[in-house]
Amino acid sequence: MRRRTILAAGSALAGTVAAGFVSQPSGDHRLLTAAREPGDAGETNTNTERLLPGTVHETRLHEIDAPRDGPTAMVFGGIHGDERNGIAVAREITEWHPDAGTLVVVPETDRVAVENDEREGVDGNLNRHFPADREPVSELARGIWDAVETRDPDVVLDLHRSLGIYDFHRQYVGQAVFHSPDAHGDALADALDDDSVPWYLPFHRFTARETDLSGPLLFQKAARELEASTYLFETTEFLLDQPTRNEMTRLAAARVLELHGLLETGGDA
Amino acid sequence: MSDDDWLVLPGTDRTPVSIGRVVTSPATIGTFVLLVVPFALGWLKSALFSPLALPSYVLYGIGTAIGDAIAPRFDFWLYWIPFLASCVGISVTIGFGYEWWRERADDDSSERL
Ligand SMILES: [Zn+2]
Repeated sequence: MRRRTILAAGSALAGTVAAGFVSQPSGDHRLLTAAREPGDAGETNTNTERLLPGTVHETRLHEIDAPRDGPTAMVFGGIHGDERNGIAVAREITEWHPDAGTLVVVPETDRVAVENDEREGVDGNLNRHFPADREPVSELARGIWDAVETRDPDVVLDLHRSLGIYDFHRQYVGQAVFHSPDAHGDALADALDDDSVPWYLPFHRFTARETDLSGPLLFQKAARELEASTYLFETTEFLLDQPTRNEMTRLAAARVLELHGLLETGGDA
Repeated sequence: MSDDDWLVLPGTDRTPVSIGRVVTSPATIGTFVLLVVPFALGWLKSALFSPLALPSYVLYGIGTAIGDAIAPRFDFWLYWIPFLASCVGISVTIGFGYEWWRERADDDSSERL
């Protein structure tokens, strides 16, 4: 009797476990395919250059020109060196093929922090180095800001991860999209929920929050001074493994490019 | 057999159910397996989360939300300890209810004979 009960429970479990929620096909496949493969208009053209050459911070910037004119988007990974989803996905994005505009990617923004696998580099938390009405406060921040100003992007996306969930765990900001007032934060959060959060993980649904532009974060400075539409994306380590965090980050990046016209997914076809 | 081997419902002096019977009840074991295994699978690999893990996901999630509000210094994996204790409590409660119901059903049927 008892053995049968346990066997029955075991097979019920085995039978109901899904094949993997983020790998389930939906609109996201078309989106990621559009990101990874050249469109009909032709090939992209990539240039790589070094930021802060000859310094301890030296890092690579990749500039991908699409065959058609369009907006310029900048994507940053590794502003915090231990948030590996942003670094891994930004490295992938250097191989993407936008359909229009220019895609600029810096995968290891604080390279010392990335190499040490630590949140902060030699001068502390890089994402507090961009205060209002002042120069960026470190050599690294000034170098990064020079690169941003030169490109004058229309869109900026900064990739992060937290340990908990925003509005659920008091001290954490995971599963959230912080954005400038004119950005498509709600549309991005809704799309991520549809593409990557199953109904049975309700606490993991994404929250969109308009950010106060007076703060010292890179995406706040870019919105404040360049009037770019900017996003800071956060996933969470809470109950999500690395492949899942990467997939959510990948989908967030592709969706931002689509929302701002750099990627075409061919409508509803 | 000593008195504390028996659980007696408050306000009654009949239908006692032994602790041993509750602990080994299929209802107790089944509930515990259903609470722990689907959630543990999702914990090991996010892709293995399923609707079956939802009750434990809610239980564990709310536990961490409360814990984080009152004692933010703990790593989330530490919440496995109160989570497993809660699972034992829920399983034993359901097992007790089930065994008590069976006991009564047996009594009723024997009275009718
Ligand atoms: Zn971060």
